[in-house]
Amino acid sequence: MDWNIVQLVLWLIAGIVSFYFSIGNARVWTSIAVGFGLILLGELLPQAMPFLPGASSPQIEAMSYILGTISILVMSHGFQEYYVFSRTLELEGNKLLVYVATLGVIFASMIFILINPDPTPSTLKVIRVVEDTNWVFLSLINIDLIRKIYINVKDSPISKGFIAFMLVFIFIFLWRGSELYIQVYDLANPDVSRLFPFRYELSQICSNVGNLLAGLSVAGTFIYLARLLR
Amino acid sequence: MILLPRGNPVKENIDPGKVQLPDALQKLQKGNFTGYLRFDTTRGVGILIYDKGRLISALFEGASEREIAYDAIALIFECSLAGNANLNIYRLSSELAMSIHALLHGQVLYKGQEVKLLDIRGLLGKMKEDKITGCLRIYTSDHIALIFYREGSPLGFFHDGSTDLEKSAENSLSVAKLPGAKIDVLTAQVSEEATMADLQASADIRALWQKAHENVTRDKRSREAEVARSLEEREKDRRQKVLGLLKGVAEKSLGRIGAQLADKEFTRAMNGQGVVSESVLDDFYQRLGKAAKLVAGPSTVKQMVDEMQRGIKALMKTD
Repeated sequence: MDWNIVQLVLWLIAGIVSFYFSIGNARVWTSIAVGFGLILLGELLPQAMPFLPGASSPQIEAMSYILGTISILVMSHGFQEYYVFSRTLELEGNKLLVYVATLGVIFASMIFILINPDPTPSTLKVIRVVEDTNWVFLSLINIDLIRKIYINVKDSPISKGFIAFMLVFIFIFLWRGSELYIQVYDLANPDVSRLFPFRYELSQICSNVGNLLAGLSVAGTFIYLARLLR
Repeated sequence: MILLPRGNPVKENIDPGKVQLPDALQKLQKGNFTGYLRFDTTRGVGILIYDKGRLISALFEGASEREIAYDAIALIFECSLAGNANLNIYRLSSELAMSIHALLHGQVLYKGQEVKLLDIRGLLGKMKEDKITGCLRIYTSDHIALIFYREGSPLGFFHDGSTDLEKSAENSLSVAKLPGAKIDVLTAQVSEEATMADLQASADIRALWQKAHENVTRDKRSREAEVARSLEEREKDRRQKVLGLLKGVAEKSLGRIGAQLADKEFTRAMNGQGVVSESVLDDFYQRLGKAAKLVAGPSTVKQMVDEMQRGIKALMKTD
């Protein structure tokens, strides 16, 4: 069984539900939903590259990593806004701004990639490390932020949804953390992995299991939230 | 309550609050008026007695107060300006005016004696024996008659419609024959006409009127302020009840954050307005609905708003 296909399906569910969920909801949910939706693109693109003619260019791979970075930033911004709302009960801004700003950042990133030399494998690795670093540390920050949000909205209908989100970020941390570890120590290099087979295997398992659980939990969380907020 | 026969009416049922009383009194003075003015007010009855244009007597008698002279005039002015007063002016003979003055400032010996239980003959004998100067007041709820005595001997009779002391006892005795008739025995202090002071000449009537005006205006303002305060208190209380209900329902539906949201959005919807109106509540439901979507689904929010509307409706009914 190809786990990558399963993971893709799960992220697809999460992406579709999250976008559906952002319709008719306040801006904070839009940021969170757009963030999760972008993960789908970031995950989908590298997986789809072998099957799409002409899509094997390093620019597309670089863009997929950048999309991953933008997704965690937008998502974290959404949680940050929700936390502010739960503390001050203030609602600010509009949804269109979120879409426009995200599209603007994506467009600027594309320009940046296109006007620079073709990314080498080393450049792609650096961009990926940046993406995973962002994911790892922002996941930790988000876990704490969501914990605080949960305390503020503890007895509201949505509260359990935030526990589910905490779980999502724990799995994301596991997934991206193991990937970052493999990249930083170059464990994917056969010469290195031969020297540290257990570490490499364990990291690989953690990454795959984390990715699967993250996909499962995020799809489940959005379906659960959609039911909660029906 | 001052019980006096009505005399010969000059003007009846005037609202003294709508009359410039200083001017009116001046007219009476200039016209050498003899008779009395009766002010029936909510606080009591005021009597001004004139003799040949001189204001010889002023009396105000309320449930718990009795004022004479300038104080009585001031009180009459105040009560007239306060509203709900009635003024009747009756013409009398000079002798009768003096007799009434003496009577009003005299003392009550016996009060409210039932005629049918009384030995009239004995009473008259006693008055003669004691040489009482004063009068017998015979009255029912509709009619009053006075029989004046000087040193125990009857001087004459005064009853509704007469301007002078009458010699015929017929009218007065007819009052005594009416069912429920009562008798008061009053003694009078006889003053010489010449020694009577003219209150109108010695007092600054316009100043008294002006002061009464100020007092009434001040009282009116203070009453209005009191009414406004009590309305404000009531509205505040109502606002608290409404807010309590909204917070309670929001907490039940959305938890603690729901109560906080209701509190905040209610304050915003009120926007400094003192009264919880329908438009304020509509604005509140709209604001709360928008904010509540962050913590609950549309069906929960709708259910909550419906419950709030039902609660407010019931609250308004009982309020």
